[in-house]
Amino acid sequence: MQAIDKVAVIGAGVMGAGIAAQVANAGLPVVLLDIVPDGAKDRNVVASSALQKMLKTNPAPLMHPRNAKRIQVGNVEDHLQWLSDCDLVIEVVIEQLEIKQDLYRKIEQHRKPGSIVTSNTSTIPLAHLVDGLPKSFQRDFAITHFFNPPRYMRLLELVAGADTRPEAIATLRTFGDRLLGKSVVDCKDTPGFIANRIGILWLGAAVRFAFEIGLTVEEADAVIGKPMGIPKTGVFGLLDLVGIDLQPHVEQSMLATLPEGDLYREVHRPSAYIERMIEEGYIGRKGKGGFYRLNRSKGGKVKEARDLETGEYRPAVAPSLASVKAGRQGMRALVEHPDRGGRYAWRVLSHTLSYAAALVPQIADDVHAVDQAMKNGYAWKRGPFEMIDQLGPKWFAQQLAKDGLAVPPLLEQVGDGSFYRLEDGRLQYFGTDGTYHDVQRADGVLLLSDIKRGAERVAGNRSASLWDIGDEVLCLEFHSKMNSIDEGIVAMISKAIKIVPSKGYKALVIHNEGDNFSVGANIGLGLFAANIAAWLQITESVKQGQYAYKALKFAPFPVVGAPAGMALGGGCEVLLHCDALQAHAETYMGLVEVGVGLVPAWGGCKEMLLRWSTNPRHPKGPMPAVSKVFETVATATVAKSAEEAKSLLYLRPGDGITMNRDRLLAEAKAMALAMAKDYAPPEPRELQLPGSAGETAMTLVLNDFRRAGKATDHDVTVGKILAHVLAGGNTDPTATVSEDKLLTLERNAIVSLLKTPQTLDRIEHMLETGKPLRN
Amino acid sequence: MKDVVLAGYARSPFHFASKGALVKVRPDDLASAVVKGLVERTGVNPDDIEDLALGCAFPEGEQGFNMARLVVLMAGLPISVAGVTINRFCGSSMQAIHMAAGAIQMGAGEAYICAGVESMSRVPMSGFNPMPNAALYQTMPEAYMSMGETAENVGREYNISREEQEMFALDSQQKAVAAQSDGRLAGEIVPIQANGSNIDADGCMRPDTSLEGLAGLKPAFDEKGTVTAGTASPLTDGAAATLVCTAEYAAANNLAPLARIASFAVSGCQPETMGLGPIFSSRKALERAGISAGDLNVVEINEAFATQSIASIRDLELDPSTVNIDGGAIAIGHPLGATGARITGKAAQVLQREGGRWALSTQCIGGGQGIATVLEAV
Repeated sequence: MQAIDKVAVIGAGVMGAGIAAQVANAGLPVVLLDIVPDGAKDRNVVASSALQKMLKTNPAPLMHPRNAKRIQVGNVEDHLQWLSDCDLVIEVVIEQLEIKQDLYRKIEQHRKPGSIVTSNTSTIPLAHLVDGLPKSFQRDFAITHFFNPPRYMRLLELVAGADTRPEAIATLRTFGDRLLGKSVVDCKDTPGFIANRIGILWLGAAVRFAFEIGLTVEEADAVIGKPMGIPKTGVFGLLDLVGIDLQPHVEQSMLATLPEGDLYREVHRPSAYIERMIEEGYIGRKGKGGFYRLNRSKGGKVKEARDLETGEYRPAVAPSLASVKAGRQGMRALVEHPDRGGRYAWRVLSHTLSYAAALVPQIADDVHAVDQAMKNGYAWKRGPFEMIDQLGPKWFAQQLAKDGLAVPPLLEQVGDGSFYRLEDGRLQYFGTDGTYHDVQRADGVLLLSDIKRGAERVAGNRSASLWDIGDEVLCLEFHSKMNSIDEGIVAMISKAIKIVPSKGYKALVIHNEGDNFSVGANIGLGLFAANIAAWLQITESVKQGQYAYKALKFAPFPVVGAPAGMALGGGCEVLLHCDALQAHAETYMGLVEVGVGLVPAWGGCKEMLLRWSTNPRHPKGPMPAVSKVFETVATATVAKSAEEAKSLLYLRPGDGITMNRDRLLAEAKAMALAMAKDYAPPEPRELQLPGSAGETAMTLVLNDFRRAGKATDHDVTVGKILAHVLAGGNTDPTATVSEDKLLTLERNAIVSLLKTPQTLDRIEHMLETGKPLRN
Repeated sequence: MKDVVLAGYARSPFHFASKGALVKVRPDDLASAVVKGLVERTGVNPDDIEDLALGCAFPEGEQGFNMARLVVLMAGLPISVAGVTINRFCGSSMQAIHMAAGAIQMGAGEAYICAGVESMSRVPMSGFNPMPNAALYQTMPEAYMSMGETAENVGREYNISREEQEMFALDSQQKAVAAQSDGRLAGEIVPIQANGSNIDADGCMRPDTSLEGLAGLKPAFDEKGTVTAGTASPLTDGAAATLVCTAEYAAANNLAPLARIASFAVSGCQPETMGLGPIFSSRKALERAGISAGDLNVVEINEAFATQSIASIRDLELDPSTVNIDGGAIAIGHPLGATGARITGKAAQVLQREGGRWALSTQCIGGGQGIATVLEAV
């Protein structure tokens, strides 16, 4: 593979800027160029304003604001010579063939010999892009199609041309996978590649049939969302998000390039209703509203939905369709349900899934590639072929035939079988050659789900399991609801600590493949115990958690945490007790307990104090570490990336960050094995804390915040109790405080807070609404 | 009695803390550059200097050790020059002038450098290790009250509306901007080298300030209050220095005195309305000088907040046209330890420039104090 040490992105629109940001997130210098607008004083204005915008956009394209420094802005008139030391040039300009080709000719004059050039086109076939360009250019050219926003959407579609060097493709695949953290899917050079080809038909079908069958937008989204394993924006919410005005362009470009007889041509119907919305500026969230809008006119915020017949807005109502409830039993129960939701689900799925089945091998070599693309590009939980397997391929084919829809050859070919099967613990897919093939993982990818298919767990209960992940490393997996920490997990931590040394394991990795590593402690149990005034039991269960986490920290073997997604509250605290972390770049850690009127009490306060008080770059004395932890915890600060977590010391300086989630477990395991050589557990430490003086200093801050309207009364109550813990209780700055003493302070703090009705209100509110209560 | 005079005044440009041009400049470097500049500009023979008295409100971190002595060494003053760091919060460098004048009257030397510095970027307000006495806080929480809250208290006690504060702030900005553009400030500024660039002008002023803009700001300290970021002095980095010596020494050494120090005073007051400190201390100082407020031609009052400035002007019955002619701290900035030297040097300079006989410099001090100096034209 070629080295990619520097990248150029040409075109600083939303996609170009987003791609440049992700390259910067990967640690590489990147040149970002755009045109010089007529009469511009600052000739770099387009690229430099894109860079400024990046710093303000939410969700942020940059994983840390300082990554912006890696992006050098310029323009295509003055700075094309900068391409001479770039190993990869990504073109992200307007979708017009002439403009792109003109740019390619200029790039060809300046680029480094043998460098790779790609286009992020979503509509123009590669063959057209390189038509008439020199052979040398064609050999180095490919399509890299990112999804918006490039930092967060995992799919990267990779398309090779007839003359593209295989080494260039291999380089792009590795670059996309390891550095940008993408799931790279090889596509054929066909319109819309994989994800948009299927996605546009799905959207078109879902909109059209909602009108035809007469569903409300809320009903349609309720059917499309959870029951189908599609993000809860469903179809209308998704259109609002991406912009309704974009749809006609996308549709037209597909119609212009799709082959005759393509199913999309049949499904597509121009909609006067939507045309009117666009004309009137109802183009979604970026406009006056879309199929939904937030009406703020009467002071509050009222979510409204648009009536699909009258075009009037009315307050949104939670739909109650029997089919959606039935859908909890599986997709078959959904599509077989006789109500309009069931009929709608069937019509959308029958078209979408049969379309996908008809397109293999036309758009991709195999069904697995199609499923990967839809899961990572459209955030579907299941790909089309996994959905067909759930419905039953044979039943699905029969129903298609009954409806007079074409049964694709691949579906006929799979017959009584399924598109996926397990063979000796290995996942296999049904190939176009009529036989099954192992699903191949890239080198260095280790998935817990693959391990689980082929093995029995070493130990486990309802909430957690222990798995042998090879090379004498044990993996602790959480699988409680939302991976919240409960007594089952605590028990399995204690069990792991016994099993690792007794059964000859060298190290423990804590990892799971849930959307979120852990959203925190199971506060529902705490609320229940507080309501029956079971204070002793509460103290006892907090103590058990503290002891389990402490035992992890001082265990005679290395413990490596490998989080991805949210790691909040108790889920953050378990990671703070690991010897090291290998975190996915998209890890969101935070001690958010104050949001439910509590303080971190499973050693979170203690561990953060230890980290800040030994940070050599922080001022000395009894207060600086305390102030910093107070600021972080009292405001429930959540790191918005693993890189940000390093700045907050949720991650230590030596902890690792993995860009590609699929590589996380393997890298954590390698780290654990490296640490296992000559491992010595840490020694307990003593801390010098300020005592009453520090508590008073923090109280002053709290009172000022209250007065300025930045804190509520209960924020102050919680803050004062937090201040008491962080100050080391009634200690004196000349004395020291042990780790155990801090745990006692944490425990007392949580019990006293659970005795306040305001904290119980916060917990109840969080359980009911998922949002914090400001009381 | 010997006559004690101010025979020189210089300062650094003042810039916003944390975002201004001086963020990366250490406070001891900043102070020594200004001291050096003062010595060069006045032409005083450094061997004659008894002591460098340096005011600083949070003398820790880079402002720690005995910064004054270190600044003596850094500024290349003779090894015989002593150094003392003085803390009376915002009154620190005016206190330095008072101590020098008192010492000179005692015959303890003929020439002093009285300076002050604060890098509010590099040493936060309250310092790195704020450790208040819990027992005192229990019985007298106002001893540690935030300055913003005391400003609200003064505003309420004196019925000073938000609009009145904003008019005052706008006036301060306009006077400072005019002084800057007329070149009335350049002469006192010692350029500072920072990050390879030459910083030679103030950076806190907001020439585009308008009443509409001010009215749009949220209260900064009390959600129901009237004090905003626009009617309070900003967190500032800066240093200032004066030369204090006997009139005889100035004459014998061809120095150009700006004004005679006629009297001074300090006074305690309620901590929760510390902004009224100038009233009590100024009354004492005026009485000691044997004059009344009506005799004053020039007044420099530190604009910690608009409320306390307005209250002090009102109670002292000062003529507003004599107050802060070149703008005040709301516009120029308030690097705590440096302000006393700035406004006293400024009062002397303006008195000489504008003519007249008497000038007053005065300021409020956190914890409940005021400090004042009366100057007489020479």
